[in-house]
Amino acid sequence: MALQLNLLHEEIAQQRQRQRDPLKIGMLVLVGVTAVMIVFYMWKAYETLEVKSQLAAVQHDWAQVEPKVTSAQNRSSELNGIINTTKVLDTMVEGRFYWAPFLEKLSRSVAPNAQLNGFDGAYNADTKALTATVDGIAAGREPRAASEELRQLLTEQLSDTYGNVAVDFMLLEDLDTVVNVAGVNMATARFSLNIKLTPAKGEPSKGAASPAPARARKS
Amino acid sequence: MSDSKFNRDQIQKMVLSGIGFVVVIYVYFTFFLGPLNRSRASMERTIADLQRKIGSSKSEIQKASNLGRQATDATSRFSAYKNLSPDGAPIAWFPPRTKAFFTSQKVDRVNTRLETTSAYTEPELTAWMRYNWVIDLPGADFVTLGSAIAELENTEPLLSLSRVTMKAQANDPQFQQVGLTANTTILKR
Repeated sequence: MALQLNLLHEEIAQQRQRQRDPLKIGMLVLVGVTAVMIVFYMWKAYETLEVKSQLAAVQHDWAQVEPKVTSAQNRSSELNGIINTTKVLDTMVEGRFYWAPFLEKLSRSVAPNAQLNGFDGAYNADTKALTATVDGIAAGREPRAASEELRQLLTEQLSDTYGNVAVDFMLLEDLDTVVNVAGVNMATARFSLNIKLTPAKGEPSKGAASPAPARARKS
Repeated sequence: MSDSKFNRDQIQKMVLSGIGFVVVIYVYFTFFLGPLNRSRASMERTIADLQRKIGSSKSEIQKASNLGRQATDATSRFSAYKNLSPDGAPIAWFPPRTKAFFTSQKVDRVNTRLETTSAYTEPELTAWMRYNWVIDLPGADFVTLGSAIAELENTEPLLSLSRVTMKAQANDPQFQQVGLTANTTILKR
């Protein structure tokens, strides 16, 4: 067997050692990983730039829309305020008591042999009830009966339009005065009527515990 | 020295490489990729937020437009109510207006005075005030007065009469001494 002498073994060992130098290998790995990371970073940065351009576009859209939205919101709240205020005012207008038709009914109920010389009426918007006092003089052979006729006619007339109508005598007394009506001397009586009603038929007065009973008091 | 074993120098170099690797990874994630991701996430949130706002704003604009169409009637009525309150203090213009009205209705003697003013409790009427007036008509014929009241109630929707008193004049029973208590709703100017 031939003897082989490796005279370069030291050089070979040194070359092998250089090839597997951990620092060198580590540096190579590090450079490789860093390169991968840089590429990844650039890819992410590109994506971020795309998102940024999208954001710029959306912000531009919003800048165009925002003034319109603000003005629409202001207009909406203004319109809502107008609608609500108008609703309340409409309710107030519709809830008013109209005196003219009431006075017309009152005047239609007065016969020629009766004369009204005082009226005091008040409408309470909270309780939705009207109370009135009518003072007058009635003449006739039976002046009290004439007064009662007026009361009944007034009740009938008012009941056609209004609710919970109650017309009661507060005062009914004979007078000594005799008046001449259509050439005939007639005795007179002074009366005072108290009227209570609600504006709409079938609508109870808010303040009333129960409807006033219809009374036909004979005085 | 065996091939499979590392010498001390090599171990030091490996540890150094490991430390370098860890530092590079830390710097990369902390100072580069992390802020980039955070910035992107923040921008995406902002985009989503703005897109939601743009979406809702379209319906908001549409709603306002619909409301404007629906409120045409209310708006015109509101303008009419507002026009019933001229500029200036009501005490300056209401009594002359009342006098002119009753004069046009053939009731010549009119005296109007302010009784009270008060604010409304309703939140919708914060811009409006309630004024109570007493209108004295010392000599009014009943029929003329009735038609004048009817006209007043029809032409002044924000006026309501809360009290009416009439007393026949002793010397001239055809004419009555009339007192009207009127409540008016007037816009604050």
